Amino acid sequence: MMLERHFKAMGTEVELLLDAPSGDAADVPLARAEAEFERLEQTMSRFRFDSELSRLNREGRLDSASPDLARVVELALAARDATGGLFDPTVHDAVVAAGYDRTFDDLVADGSARLLPATCGGAVDVEGFRIELGAGTRLDLGGIGKGYAVDRVAELLALSGPCLVNAGGDLAVRGGSWPVGITDEVTLELERGAIATSGIDRRRWHRNGRQLHHLIDPFTARPAESPFVRVTVVADTAAEAEVLAKAAFLGADVDVPRVLVLADGRTVLAGGLA
Amino acid sequence: MTDRFTRLSTLVIAVLVFVVAWAAVAAKPWASAKPDPRLAALTQREQLLRADARRVRQIVAKRSATYQSALAQRKSQLAAANTRLLASAPPSAAPAVRVVNLPPLTITRTS
Repeated sequence: MMLERHFKAMGTEVELLLDAPSGDAADVPLARAEAEFERLEQTMSRFRFDSELSRLNREGRLDSASPDLARVVELALAARDATGGLFDPTVHDAVVAAGYDRTFDDLVADGSARLLPATCGGAVDVEGFRIELGAGTRLDLGGIGKGYAVDRVAELLALSGPCLVNAGGDLAVRGGSWPVGITDEVTLELERGAIATSGIDRRRWHRNGRQLHHLIDPFTARPAESPFVRVTVVADTAAEAEVLAKAAFLGADVDVPRVLVLADGRTVLAGGLA
Repeated sequence: MTDRFTRLSTLVIAVLVFVVAWAAVAAKPWASAKPDPRLAALTQREQLLRADARRVRQIVAKRSATYQSALAQRKSQLAAANTRLLASAPPSAAPAVRVVNLPPLTITRTS
């Protein structure tokens, strides 16, 4: 029987699908999965003052960070190296400078504000559970943190049966065969792995009459300009897919299955999907 | 002539006597043959240190041999474990995906 659970976490709608026998205890794994999302959001949200990430950003250093935060920061730094800086967790100040300084639900859609200059590429040092940020460096783990959470929750749910975890644009499956709608015309059937989508068709706003969005180009520290409206990437894990989707959106030639939606409305299948 | 020879011989003999006397005084024959106690202590200390160094080298060599043996055994165990792991791993962990014409069970959108 297909069990479902929907809730809001990490600023998006989360959907859990679990193929497991029904019964009194059927809801337990889904409830645990939801609790895991909440736990990880409390660790990595930049919008919660008392989150571990907010404390790190305020103090510039944590001597005994949680294993999850240390792991995600390590993953983000590895992604920065692997993408030549196209993916960068130190875009926090640039995102805030672009106006994304509160949860998207609370963001004023249209307003006027002075866009402050910001820089990316700050120093971050992780050694064991000690994390140290360079002067003036703050982290935004929004995308990769959500991907990590999706991977973690999928592992958790997979103990109870074939499952799908879909948190907005980050999706992972374990077992079974899952048709996933990418656009109105394209459906991908995923048997294992993950999908992530980066784009500017959501999470966008206007300041001083100019359209802005959350995908920051680390080399300009400004909302990126791209020929794509959105890029969907298939990879082993949701965290990896998230990184590759962002890099592909910024112009990297990533060699993975992907669906590209161009500004003129055309959809291009690449990486073995065509 | 004889006087001149005598004077020269006397001078040479005097110089020889002076040199021999100087050498005898420089040799300090009156000085005691007893060794300097500080030198003896230093020699004894040197011998002790040399003996200690020999013992340390023996201990290190023994421990190193034990460690190298254990390391080789551990590497062999790890290699065997890796071989077993590779043999039991699924053929591929790469994502399996294809385009289908089925109605989607869920949709994904921009994160």
